[in-house]
Amino acid sequence: MRTVSAAETAPTTYPWAVHAEGLRVRAGRHLAVDGLDLALHTGVHGLLGPNGAGKTTLMRALATVLKPAGGRLTLLGEPVDGRGGLGRIRRGLGYLPQQFGFYPRFTVREFVEYMAWLKQMPKTVIPGATQRAIERVGLADKAGARMKTLSGGMLRRAGIAQAIVNDPAVLLLDEPTVGLDPEQRMDFRELLRDIGVDSCVLVSTHLVEDVVAACTDVVLISEGRLVYQGTPDDLVRQGGEGYPGDSPAERGYSALLRRHRTEAGR
Amino acid sequence: MSAADEEELVRRTAAGDRRAFDELYRRTSPWLLARLRRRCADDDVVADVMQETYLAVWRAADSFAGSAASGSAVGWLWTIAAHRLVDAFRRRARQNQMPAVPPAETVAPAAEDEVMAGRVGQELEQALLELPPEARQVLRAMVLDGLSVRETSLLLGLPENTVKSRARRARLALREALS
Amino acid sequence: MTAHPSPAVIARYADRAANLDEVTAWSVEVHLEDCADCRALVADSTTDDSRALLARIGTALDDDIAAGPAPARRRRWSAARHRWLVWHLVPWTTMTVAVLVCAVLLEALQPSLPSLVALLAPVAPLPGVAIAWSRRHDPAWELIAGTPAAGLAMLLRRTAVVLAVVVPALAVASSRTGVSLASTLLPCLAFTAATIALGGLVGVHRAALALGAAWSLAVIVPAVLTAELPVLLQPGSSLGWALLTLALGGLAAARPDNFRRLSSLN
Repeated sequence: MRTVSAAETAPTTYPWAVHAEGLRVRAGRHLAVDGLDLALHTGVHGLLGPNGAGKTTLMRALATVLKPAGGRLTLLGEPVDGRGGLGRIRRGLGYLPQQFGFYPRFTVREFVEYMAWLKQMPKTVIPGATQRAIERVGLADKAGARMKTLSGGMLRRAGIAQAIVNDPAVLLLDEPTVGLDPEQRMDFRELLRDIGVDSCVLVSTHLVEDVVAACTDVVLISEGRLVYQGTPDDLVRQGGEGYPGDSPAERGYSALLRRHRTEAGR
Repeated sequence: MSAADEEELVRRTAAGDRRAFDELYRRTSPWLLARLRRRCADDDVVADVMQETYLAVWRAADSFAGSAASGSAVGWLWTIAAHRLVDAFRRRARQNQMPAVPPAETVAPAAEDEVMAGRVGQELEQALLELPPEARQVLRAMVLDGLSVRETSLLLGLPENTVKSRARRARLALREALS
Repeated sequence: MTAHPSPAVIARYADRAANLDEVTAWSVEVHLEDCADCRALVADSTTDDSRALLARIGTALDDDIAAGPAPARRRRWSAARHRWLVWHLVPWTTMTVAVLVCAVLLEALQPSLPSLVALLAPVAPLPGVAIAWSRRHDPAWELIAGTPAAGLAMLLRRTAVVLAVVVPALAVASSRTGVSLASTLLPCLAFTAATIALGGLVGVHRAALALGAAWSLAVIVPAVLTAELPVLLQPGSSLGWALLTLALGGLAAARPDNFRRLSSLN
């Protein structure tokens, strides 16, 4: 038996889990995200774009690791601005960065438990949540192995485990399939589809097939701006025979980029 | 046979004692089966959930034993099982299979049960009786089973805002009935 | 514990086909969470097909357990250890201790110099504090920076680890060279508090560098050149240093929200 607080049953007042208006974020001195408008609700959203489009910078800003230089960013109904109060947002976030560093002496279980503790999960809940996260990514056999003994794909999966351990309402994954073999990638897509049933997932990836297979929504950005947002089928419809690409989705992708560049006068 | 024995069984399981684990299974699985069946009409799902739960206990008994200072072994056994059940329902929701929620049971207690006073407190029972069954279902998932709003919405196949409004109405009704 | 239900009620609870109303079932379930004897009654009342189902689950469990590894024992106190033993601080604290040792030796060799230990005491903890919260030195920094626990508490915990090494070293060094403990420890603590307070505004790295450079240029160099202890470090100034420490500590504690944003300043 537990008590249910009034705050928990208060009606949800915000329409979007992630809402950015005119977002500007600097990466070093360069303005990597320049006036981006983005609205994401529950589901799996694939983030596509050429190199240097600002995908990683956008992820870092959404993960509240980087402070936006301008514009408005609202996560889970709370504004992310200079004034504090990030604790509540961060408790509902999960983030896997592209460059994923770790403490080599930790075992997989210790690592996920440490991250769960940092996310301020109640202490009694941590062991169960850790075991569940480790099983969901398929690392149950390696739970006692030290991080430095893991291969690249297993490390990535350990990173995904720490991102999902607190059942986040907003999950941000930057290139999560790097180093995964095709079978592991299929398992990962299953996991993504599961998580996308009741939370907002943003997956940044270079592989267009990953996006089409697992995502309910595609977000295409280029040079720090939003180029296109729609379903994978709509993406395919944008393309045609004249555009480069080995699959209908890739053709749609190159079609959209080309049109965006000609409109921008390039 | 007392409750302390179950925590001791968990500690021995953590040390790799297979017999202690089997004993734990023997003692707790009938109760877990009965409880899960009242939340899910599909026996295959229930069997899968129980298998995953006990496997998790076997693999991670050490972590549970360390933190069992607060809460009983049976308490977190239910927590593991409840989360696995929600995960199974989530998978079905994704595959667009309707989750197998058992039909609402009869509302009025039989005469002999009314004799059993003071189980959860008569006023609370009376108040629970007066709630509409949908609100009672939401309350059971959140209060008794310890699930969050998101998990309750998956378990019962309802949108989150519906779960929240029913929970709010239930709280108001209970507060009125108990005051 | 609530009162025991009658065996008939428990038998109906255990039997799925039997009719049991929701409210009675609710009280039975609340009771069963605490009472092992009634749980045993449930076990006795299971129907035959339920027993068959449980046996099937049992054999499937046997297969799963045989296929996987034995339960791994976690290392004792691993959680507390991982929070407090911050390995990437070790090289810097070692360097600090080594510098103090050199200072002691130098003083023994060159008695004409003013007390090097007293001169170095304020800047001794700065290298450790600077990299306690640094992107370049903490391998898991990107992951930690986005968690709700990342803030003043974490910075203070790591600073405490640094001080736990530096303060005893300073105590030993000051007793070897005959300098009073107050004149080395209090400036050390004051500068630590100053680094943290200033770090909330401009970043801990920059604050440590600025304070270290300022102290070296303004105090250490003139003292070595003129071969006399500066006014600031005369024995009577201890009270001033103590008050300064408290003031700066209060300043840092008053604005904890500054530290949630520390990530952007690194």
